[in-house]
Amino acid sequence: MTSKGGQGDQFPIPGSLYPSETVEMFTRLSRFRSAFPRLYSRQPVRFVSQSKPTGAAGSTAVTELHPAADKAGHGEVSQYVKNPDYHGFSSDPVVDEWNMRVGFFFGISVALVLGATFIHYLPDHGMRQWARREAECVIQQREKEGLPLIEENYYDPSKIVLPSARNE
Amino acid sequence: MLKILLPTLMLVPTIWVTPAKWLWPTTLAHSFLIALTSFSWLKNFSETGWMSLNKYMATDALSTPLLVLTCWLLPLMILASQNHTSAEPINRQRMYITLLTSLQFFLILAFSATEIIMFYVMFEATLIPTLIIITRWGNQTERLNAGTYFLFYTLAGSLPLLVALLLLQNNTGTLSLLTIQFSDPILLSTYADKIWWAGCLIAFLVKMPLYGVHLWLPKAHVEAPIAGSMILAAVLLKLGGYGMLRMMTVLEPLTKELSYPFIILALWGIIMTGSICLRQTDLKSLIAYSSVSHMGLVAGGILIQTPWGFTGALILMIAHGLTSSALFCLANTNYERTHSRTMILARGMQMVLPLMTTWWFIASLANLALPPLPNLMGELMIITSLFNWSWWTIALTGTGTLITAGYSLYMFLMTQRGPIPLHITAIEPSHSREHLLIFLHLLPLLLLILKPELIWGWTF
Repeated sequence: MTSKGGQGDQFPIPGSLYPSETVEMFTRLSRFRSAFPRLYSRQPVRFVSQSKPTGAAGSTAVTELHPAADKAGHGEVSQYVKNPDYHGFSSDPVVDEWNMRVGFFFGISVALVLGATFIHYLPDHGMRQWARREAECVIQQREKEGLPLIEENYYDPSKIVLPSARNE
Repeated sequence: MLKILLPTLMLVPTIWVTPAKWLWPTTLAHSFLIALTSFSWLKNFSETGWMSLNKYMATDALSTPLLVLTCWLLPLMILASQNHTSAEPINRQRMYITLLTSLQFFLILAFSATEIIMFYVMFEATLIPTLIIITRWGNQTERLNAGTYFLFYTLAGSLPLLVALLLLQNNTGTLSLLTIQFSDPILLSTYADKIWWAGCLIAFLVKMPLYGVHLWLPKAHVEAPIAGSMILAAVLLKLGGYGMLRMMTVLEPLTKELSYPFIILALWGIIMTGSICLRQTDLKSLIAYSSVSHMGLVAGGILIQTPWGFTGALILMIAHGLTSSALFCLANTNYERTHSRTMILARGMQMVLPLMTTWWFIASLANLALPPLPNLMGELMIITSLFNWSWWTIALTGTGTLITAGYSLYMFLMTQRGPIPLHITAIEPSHSREHLLIFLHLLPLLLLILKPELIWGWTF
């Protein structure tokens, strides 16, 4: 469905289809139009908060102290009219382009590429990867020689010197 | 340590001395260079324990990922706030970036502190810039209320912590994190000891936030400007998890029994906040509740006190930090175009901004923990260690995961798919800046798949 402005006019007007009481009901309901946003196709473009400031916080409507300046991006004229290559950084085309370059260079070329390279070549923490490779080598070697993968005794029993029982 | 802290401090003169025209590019480049330098913390020489860098600050495998995340977030916040502050006078822009910089400064000090009191002081110090960001730079009047909630929830939770820490100092004679795990176990038997236990944890549980004391978070998120939401979701919540991980070693004998209600509350909170997400109309509020839900899982993983629980908690914290920050950025791109956070008013964005839909898709999938992403690894490790503790938890965590998938897809469908509402007539094309911003969130997340041991914490 392509939904562009103007199609709202094609919707049937309630009055032409329904009896007059219904029309009256609809007009009453229309007071609550802000509560039923989806029933109405024509929306105001801006949705500004209508809620009351809470008294507890002692609000003195700070927005009045600092009047909102003309929002460059939100105003009537789009930035793209002035600068078709707008990158979202600045209204000045030169600064905009340089800011884009700086952002992409330092963000991607420097931080991500150099940073990822650095992290990739970090030393093997605690020699864990080395231990894994070494274990695989030992397994291959012992399987080739037909030895059991691991000895039953972790220490060589002949090297363990036990105190003789007689001394007790 | 100082090689990051001093450049961070020197960012302040950079901000104030740079010509107005080049303010944003200069600070952006500077902060990216700081982030790059912070990667050097990942070079961990010591086989176990601390890389002691000076007497007051040190990093270990637990704090390093969070520190790097903090440093990474500052350039992203600068990128994100460039558009909505562009109409402000130049000095207010400078002030705003200074505020963000001070937040990074305090956060680095908090995560690298070797003393619990120092951590506590910095933990509290981050409240001030955050409060100013919310109450000064928010968009609506409700921000004042949100600031009150934020301040008083956190303060009410953390003042008992101060008393508890002073008691601990009195008993053990030291609060140094370097030695505290080697100190003799404290005899904890009386009723007052149990209150002390609660005092030590509640500050962090409020900050996480645990379900039940989470009400400040959706308010703060909804009212904060984009940079505030980003840092709040990405790093400030993780202060709570980090503090809990650190305190757990001290609280040892009591935690086994006393943590039951908190684990149950955290798991119940996953389901409750997930269900709240399913009926949200406000986009930022949905993402905020989704944060509460994920943090419930983190709290459960920490309270269960197994190596897998701790590792899973850290992985999930980092992954969620990047994901939720990306989601807030995406929500902000919608907000800057439609001036509304209500989801039904900005549907069908795929028709208008198709590349943004790609980012939404990846971020939503990351939020619901798609298989190779670290989000899933963290969740799986926590769920497994909880399951090992009690089989019944799988009912809660499993349902939670299902609901998470549900609301993530709901968010994607509501914002991206379907017909465009008729009132949307002229949407600005998406900017290169926004694409860069989201890319810089999501690519690190994807790269972490390739080297997950960076965020394994103590188990590596």
